[in-house]
Amino acid sequence: MSSITTSEMRKSPLLPILWIAAAGALLGAGEKLVIQYDCIPSYANWEGVTALYKKVSGVTVPPDAKGSSVAMLALEKEKDHPLADCAYYSGAIGFQAARKGLHQPYKPKGWEKIPDTLKDPDGLWWTVHTSAIALIVNTKALGEAPVPRSWADLLKPAYKGTIAYDDPTWGGTSYTFVYGINELMGGGASNFRPGLEYLSKLDANVSSYPRESVYNAVLRGEIPIWINADGNGYKMRYADNGPVEVVIPTEGTFVMPLVMGMAKGAPHPKETKKYLDWLLSDQAQAEFARGFFLPVLAGSVPEDLAAKFLPPSEYKRAHTLDLASMAAAADALKKAWLDEIRGSGR
Amino acid sequence: MPLALTLALVVYWPLSHLFSTLFTRAGSEALWQVLSAGRYRTSLLNSLLLSVAAAALSLLLSLIPAWVLARERFRGQGLLRGLISLPLTFSGVLVGFLAVVMLGRAGAVPSLLRFLTGRELLAGSAYTLGGLFTAYLYFEVPRAVMTLEPSFRRIPGELDAAARSLGAVPLSRFGRVFLPIAAPALRATFALAFSASLGSFGVALMLARRFTVAPLEVYTQLTGFSNDSVAGALCLVLAASSFLADRLLSGGRA
Repeated sequence: MSSITTSEMRKSPLLPILWIAAAGALLGAGEKLVIQYDCIPSYANWEGVTALYKKVSGVTVPPDAKGSSVAMLALEKEKDHPLADCAYYSGAIGFQAARKGLHQPYKPKGWEKIPDTLKDPDGLWWTVHTSAIALIVNTKALGEAPVPRSWADLLKPAYKGTIAYDDPTWGGTSYTFVYGINELMGGGASNFRPGLEYLSKLDANVSSYPRESVYNAVLRGEIPIWINADGNGYKMRYADNGPVEVVIPTEGTFVMPLVMGMAKGAPHPKETKKYLDWLLSDQAQAEFARGFFLPVLAGSVPEDLAAKFLPPSEYKRAHTLDLASMAAAADALKKAWLDEIRGSGR
Repeated sequence: MPLALTLALVVYWPLSHLFSTLFTRAGSEALWQVLSAGRYRTSLLNSLLLSVAAAALSLLLSLIPAWVLARERFRGQGLLRGLISLPLTFSGVLVGFLAVVMLGRAGAVPSLLRFLTGRELLAGSAYTLGGLFTAYLYFEVPRAVMTLEPSFRRIPGELDAAARSLGAVPLSRFGRVFLPIAAPALRATFALAFSASLGSFGVALMLARRFTVAPLEVYTQLTGFSNDSVAGALCLVLAASSFLADRLLSGGRA
């Protein structure tokens, strides 16, 4: 008898709705919140950063699994009924979101210490940390082949089927790579030929263009060479003890700023401003460094961590890209990539 | 009543919203764009062909297991049924992940074959069209078995016995007794498997390299380009195809 009642209750569509309502009421009543879109716990140590903030302030910043593009899309869809207080993006996408009028200006404490190229003059977005595009190499999975040192190396037949980079229509990191490699090969904001030519040669060695996080696949050896943010590679090597080497290619690479913006119509403006101030404090900046993303404020990397990054001489080859032209080229370059590299879809 | 309310809220309301965009300029332009040659139409054709093939083969493969489960009595039957239906509980992304673990570059199957034969066989085959198709079968066959079994159970055993006593050989019993009775169930199962494949997204998300299917294109247009109208038009065509398949194939049953 009792089992019948339970199974009937389970079938009622009202019950889950009640649960959600109850959970929502609890959250709303019990604690102070700041909602950040794109707050992926395993990325850039947001897990550690938000836990630390909870400890020092009592305010909860819940995890959020949207990537940059999806975060911007959500802000756009919710423009009339904003739910988010702030969002975190890879640089060009944050720039684009600001352009679309999805942000309100705010200049957090410590603003003046951020280099000019890494912030919007009106405070519509600013960098919290940076990462450089690098080759993340699982040396064990690579077997006999030597560790590649340059973009040219990657075109050698020895690396057939070993390389992956994320679909640039999915992730901002990969868009930074695609835009950057075009510039490095001699292209520009209106001329994508040189980049696309390199990428279509590279295509012969690429095994997949992932549209989900492949961090674990690289660690396991399914993907021996991943073109991605250097911080992810350091994390594999030092936090997960993987057989991983991070390589800054000899021809040079690109710096990707990762930025914050305060959402227009943020439902918790006071708490949000306090949180955004804190993200630029020494404490928060050092915590980001634990996820191996380089804090935007110089000198906030703890000494034990500094030794784990490649020496600064290597990073001399990392160039900053112009976010305005990068954002302007986004749709056209992503479309060209889709048509020419991913192909007709057959 | 709660069911009707939920359906109205989460199915018909968004669907009508989508449908109404057809009558705006942007909406009808997008529909035209999707149906004329190019990447979007390719994705739709790929989706349709892949779903028809997956539905047909999974129907064929499910005949014997469904028959055995429906007509025979043996120990461990419940366990077997449970094992067969297990893949149904996996989401598409999980099935895609499984395909990578089994048939990827460093997958279990290629590693085993390398150990046995000393050669590289099937490594990375998860990312090919064959791999994608195999992954579709992985969740379509159990679905087909589970929908066929109850209808097979309803076929009266006496008919088969009578045909046998009249001297019919197995092949003609299959063609003249079994098929006419089971046809509606077979058609309905095909339609269901077809619709499920058409809407499947996670597997292609994980495995497709160049090949694209319509749900994947919806995702790319939405996340990569905020292109609502094309994504919406693709959804409409998908919904219409699935509705049509259901009407044409299992409409007669009710």
